[in-house]
Amino acid sequence: MKKAQKYAPILPVLMAYIALFVVGKGMTGMWQLVATLLFYCALGQAFNIFMGMTGYVDFGYVAFMGVGTYGMALTITRFADFQGFGVGIIIIGFFAALLFSTLLSLAVGAVALRLRGAYFAIATIGVNEGFRFLIEGARIWNGSEGLIFTAQLNQILGKQSASRLAVFWADVIVFGIAIFAACLTLAYMRSKIGYALTALREDEDAAKVMGINVTKYKIIAFVTSSCIAGLIGATSWALKTPYVFPPEVFEIHYTIEAIIIVLLGGAGTLLGPIVGGLIYGISKYYLSVILPGFQLLIFAPIIIVIIIMFPEGVVGVFRKKIKGTKLERYFM
Amino acid sequence: MVLEQLIGNLIQGLVLGAVYGMATMGLSLIFGVLQIVNVGHGAFIMVGAFITYWLFTALGLNPIFAVPIAFVFGMALGLLFYYTAMKRLIKAPELASLLVTFSIGVLLQEIVKLIFGSEFRGYNWVVGKINLGITVLPMTKLYAAIGSVLIAVLLYLWFNKTRYGSAMRCVVEDSEGARVCGINVGGVYAMSFGLGIGLTVASGVLLTMFIPVGINPYMGGGYTLKAFVIAVLGGLASPYGAFFGGLVFGLIENGSYTLFALIPGVEPFALTRFFSFMILLAILLVRPTGLLKAK
Amino acid sequence: MTLLRLDSVTKRFGGLVAVNQVSLEIDHGQFVGIVGPNGSGKTTLFNVISGVFFPEQGHVFFESKDITRLPPYKRAPLGIGRTFQIPRPFASATVRENIAVGAMFGTLSHRVNVEESLEIADQTIERVGLQDHKDKVAGGLTPVEKKLMEIGRALAMKPKLLLMDEAMAGMHPNDIDDIVSLIKRIAKEEQIAIVAMVEHIMRAVVGMAEKVIVLHRGAKIVDAPTKEALENPKVVDVYLGRPTKES
Repeated sequence: MKKAQKYAPILPVLMAYIALFVVGKGMTGMWQLVATLLFYCALGQAFNIFMGMTGYVDFGYVAFMGVGTYGMALTITRFADFQGFGVGIIIIGFFAALLFSTLLSLAVGAVALRLRGAYFAIATIGVNEGFRFLIEGARIWNGSEGLIFTAQLNQILGKQSASRLAVFWADVIVFGIAIFAACLTLAYMRSKIGYALTALREDEDAAKVMGINVTKYKIIAFVTSSCIAGLIGATSWALKTPYVFPPEVFEIHYTIEAIIIVLLGGAGTLLGPIVGGLIYGISKYYLSVILPGFQLLIFAPIIIVIIIMFPEGVVGVFRKKIKGTKLERYFM
Repeated sequence: MVLEQLIGNLIQGLVLGAVYGMATMGLSLIFGVLQIVNVGHGAFIMVGAFITYWLFTALGLNPIFAVPIAFVFGMALGLLFYYTAMKRLIKAPELASLLVTFSIGVLLQEIVKLIFGSEFRGYNWVVGKINLGITVLPMTKLYAAIGSVLIAVLLYLWFNKTRYGSAMRCVVEDSEGARVCGINVGGVYAMSFGLGIGLTVASGVLLTMFIPVGINPYMGGGYTLKAFVIAVLGGLASPYGAFFGGLVFGLIENGSYTLFALIPGVEPFALTRFFSFMILLAILLVRPTGLLKAK
Repeated sequence: MTLLRLDSVTKRFGGLVAVNQVSLEIDHGQFVGIVGPNGSGKTTLFNVISGVFFPEQGHVFFESKDITRLPPYKRAPLGIGRTFQIPRPFASATVRENIAVGAMFGTLSHRVNVEESLEIADQTIERVGLQDHKDKVAGGLTPVEKKLMEIGRALAMKPKLLLMDEAMAGMHPNDIDDIVSLIKRIAKEEQIAIVAMVEHIMRAVVGMAEKVIVLHRGAKIVDAPTKEALENPKVVDVYLGRPTKES
């Protein structure tokens, strides 16, 4: 496959994200909505790397966002007094977030990823609960009182920059994370990793016999997906709203949204999470205006319908339609 | 004195465990017959809790009467979900049934929230206490425990003495073989799912007899986790295993709570929940098929 | 040095002895048929060789290396390939991608990248005759095409030993003949040893195997060149009273 052909699928992705960015900056008052949509797309891209590509569900996914948030929060609170570090502290915060999510995902993965589908799902249901209650129960990191670090953030960046960060730059970072996640997804899909994941998703035992170390590849997908989640948490939560409370950052709601986004768009596809993120984000936004608080009520049966009738999601159905045409190589 | 305290603790744990066990039997039954893990399990318990609450506060009905009503309602609900959704997932990849049952749970949560709002509710059913000398047991808890044991016994009789129950057991063993024997496997699936959900909703009633407060649409999540720990403890496919797993879990939970309460500077409630999760992981690692021999 | 050697392998499931002290040897490039009625332990034996199960007793040697307790995914790069009775395609991937997986994780796994694996897949597709279907999604193939793809995928692994599970079950006699000659040709060209499991379609056995191993209730009762084996009274005994199947 020529280089151009290999990377062609990233074009629609970049176009979509750039279009979003332009709309957000160009039209007044749209930035908030666009930022929310970017969040959902990024979340979807990250979650897709695991659930979409392996076919396993991590019901405790939000724990990684939570842990990433703590990573950033703790860095900010601990380093706030170091004069002159400025933005450097934020960067250290990202590394902390990465570190925390890597550690947690390795710990969970080592235990849970040896287990098959249903058992794995059960194990992950507990991760969320388990970790949150560990923090609250053992009063780690200020326990259930959480951390508030508005003051420290202001101290590090200066009040103006901090608020500019919250309403603009943090979202730009999310934008970057989303694009990064998409590129990583494509890279995986085109490499042995992608083939191994597809094989183990379709038939894990046959994959083993073909020489695939399924546990290793599951872990790769899992840790990647979780780390990106950690970065998203660090950015969208810690940097935009400088406080963190365990019940909020371990709220299963976000895992549900990630599942909806990936399924809606098309699990295992490159564009799926973007389509899913946009549809879900826009629907939620309008629902919150017309019928606030109803979005899960409406989306829960939608997921059921999708799984039973359109398991391949919007992008999956679209790909079937364009099979054999020239468009095929651009829409993965 | 310490021995008395210990035995008292034991009794409390067993009473709690009986109810927990009964609450898990439905989960194990559904997995045993249909090979489906009902990730929305807790939501059905929540439905049972709300039925109890409503019957008590709106109609003044004694929770004991709520049990059969909840059971029948649960069965109807189970059959409804089976024929609309679950039926098509028997042959689908695992991911599908996990996500669908999960979504059903979310749906139930939202519907209940719509009807009752998300505030915490409770009811007060005063029937006195019983003093066993070493410990004091509220009558409601005793009723709940007795009810659980009764239901477990009824289930046992169902499986072993009735034709339909035996048919279910055949399907668990070998669904193809059962089909060849002339058993209407599809009917058994539907019946089992209905029965499993019925049991779960009914268990919600008994659980509120135990803890008549904190009833809210989101209460299911914690119970789902506990049910999984218990189900895995007792062997995921065995309802009897679930019951005994429940007893063991009740003992552990009660015991660990008392222990954690003794440690200064920690929150015992939260730590107990963390601890039960650790148990789950430990069992999944060591013996995913359960610590007890499945029947 | 023999390619594969089993030394008194015993596999139990609870109280049932599925494989009972079976010893055998397979040489490089040799074509062996494993024959026996349902329940004689053939599938379990294959599972032990490919690593799905570990035996309670005995050893499995591959090129003199003790692989008895090696996990299945490590046996493929050594050169042990396997096809299944009911083909197990990776349904959402194309034929080309399926076969490429074989190349990526088989004996060449350390030396080929994705591009090269796809090239090997193309070559293999030519050899098994699936050119017209190479970009089709594997889930939509006919049973015969799936069988060919299954074989192709295993061949792309460039195995030294190919375990063919109940290779010809449920196939039309004409198709059987075609596939048999295809396999024989490729096996000769690539010096692959083939162990084909056959339940009772004698046509395939006679056409393919140099020697025949007969299993009965988990134990090996015959291990001889084909003609000899089929005339052995014990073999006739084992098959007595069975309803005659097609051809």
